[in-house]
Amino acid sequence: MIRLEDLTKQYGATRAVDRLSLEIAEGELLVLLGSSGCGKTTTLKMINRLIEPSSGTISVGGRDVESLPAHEVRRHIGYVIQQIGLFPHKTIGDNIATVPKLLGWDKARIAERVNELVALVDLSPDMVDRYPAALSGGQRQRVGVARALAADPPVLLMDEPFGAVDPIVRTRLQDELISLQARLQKTIVLVTHDIDEAIKLGDRVAILSTGGILQQYATPAEILGEPASDFVADFLGTDRGIKRLSLIPVSAVELEPGPVVAPSATAAEAEQAMREYAVTWIAVGKGEQLDGWLSRGDIDGSIDTSRLRPFQTRLTPTSSLKEALDAVITSQTAVAAVFDGDRFVGMITADQISKEIVQ
Amino acid sequence: MILAQTADQPFFRWDWVVDHVDDIWAATAEHLWLTALAVGIGLVISLALSAIVLRWRKAYTPVTWITGILYTIPSLALFAFLVPITGLSTTTALVGLVSYTLLILIRNIVAGIDGVPREILEAARGMGYTKRRQFFDIELPLALPVIIAGIRIAAVTTIGLVTVTALIGKGGLGFFILRGLNLFYSSVGTTQIVVGTVVSVLLAIAVDLALVGAERLATPWARHKATS
Repeated sequence: MIRLEDLTKQYGATRAVDRLSLEIAEGELLVLLGSSGCGKTTTLKMINRLIEPSSGTISVGGRDVESLPAHEVRRHIGYVIQQIGLFPHKTIGDNIATVPKLLGWDKARIAERVNELVALVDLSPDMVDRYPAALSGGQRQRVGVARALAADPPVLLMDEPFGAVDPIVRTRLQDELISLQARLQKTIVLVTHDIDEAIKLGDRVAILSTGGILQQYATPAEILGEPASDFVADFLGTDRGIKRLSLIPVSAVELEPGPVVAPSATAAEAEQAMREYAVTWIAVGKGEQLDGWLSRGDIDGSIDTSRLRPFQTRLTPTSSLKEALDAVITSQTAVAAVFDGDRFVGMITADQISKEIVQ
Repeated sequence: MILAQTADQPFFRWDWVVDHVDDIWAATAEHLWLTALAVGIGLVISLALSAIVLRWRKAYTPVTWITGILYTIPSLALFAFLVPITGLSTTTALVGLVSYTLLILIRNIVAGIDGVPREILEAARGMGYTKRRQFFDIELPLALPVIIAGIRIAAVTTIGLVTVTALIGKGGLGFFILRGLNLFYSSVGTTQIVVGTVVSVLLAIAVDLALVGAERLATPWARHKATS
């Protein structure tokens, strides 16, 4: 969908982007990741021609972006920036309608589209007639995304889109982008310096170093698992093993049945199960139903189901190993139970998680 | 200064005002008309010069230089200099009045356009605005509060200056002041000075308030600022 070939940008003696070639498939979200001065924003702005390359070519949808006037190219590429840049003198509705108006849509079509978008990004319909100054940071960012999507462009460029909002709002907006992308399947190029954001959002990540040199271009799991260079390993930090856990689902690990006995089991059977697993607690349940757990001290001759304690965290097969690790290290039993709906499917331990990282 | 006041020569005579209401109205209307014309022509010239400055930044220094010099010439001297060229005419009055508005207006127009936040311009370009459309749809409306602030100063200054043009036979309310000075030792004279001055001041205040109102109407977004 987007193809960068030998793209170079030179400012006097400094090279901002160095012979960069990337190919971004349709419906894919590419993250350009790097610290400041690595040319990631320059690269992004060359795609919609806010910056003209010194050499190299860019094509979008098989068409060289130089073949059309710059403003025509930009009307078919959505653009979201960190400071959002809403027009303060226009209502939210008029802000969203910017590109359709430039494209000369008729009024009825624009009004219909604005309503669609307001619903899509979860804004209340009465905001359409308000001015940007009346909105919170998170709401403004949603309007910015709605404005970028207004003319339904196949490509979306996002320059540190969540950099200016607080961490709680940022997480929510990231989740919203993921669900939006699942529905819309746009080709997105997103610039960030936040590694966690890149891992969370990117289908693929391109890591750039100072001077716009491509260090690695791969999926987040590949980058974390096999950094292509010392630079990449350094950039990702010493906790990249733990970071990688957020990408692996619980279902990738073979679960253990765990020390489970039936409610009718005797104290001796419970003792044997505990010894087998070398733990001092026992889970009680039958088949696919898990009722809770008891510590060794709770067992007084037989199992008393009224003393059962619940499993605090219930993981699902789609939970990440990062969540699983959190559940394991915060639980008194040092394991986390995994449920598929109400069905108990097994238990996960720190040992199994660490085995997965080492692999 | 001697303000002679006796029983039959009061300082201010209401009966004179009552007798000359029509004249006062006519002079006020002329005053307002000259002001509007001067500021209007000044605005058109300033917009044109600002457009040049905004396109070629190097022009800013010479433009402010020349309009700055015009601004500092004493008004009396300027009119004296113009009379041999354009005579005792409205043209003479307007040339003078207009030249005093240019510096203020150009500075405010350029500052207003320059003051539009960068991220807004970047967003506009990124959305696919052409330069021309971006100027009229984004930059000009956002510069409006600063431009109107300039128009307010220019209008109030011009209202004061119009009185000086009485010397070349125009002058609106300045006519009363000038004639009053000639008849200074009479109560008719002092009354006319007071009328010319007070009405001129009231006119300046009224015009300023009207422009504030116009600004509020033209910038509805500024009234919707969130309190949070």
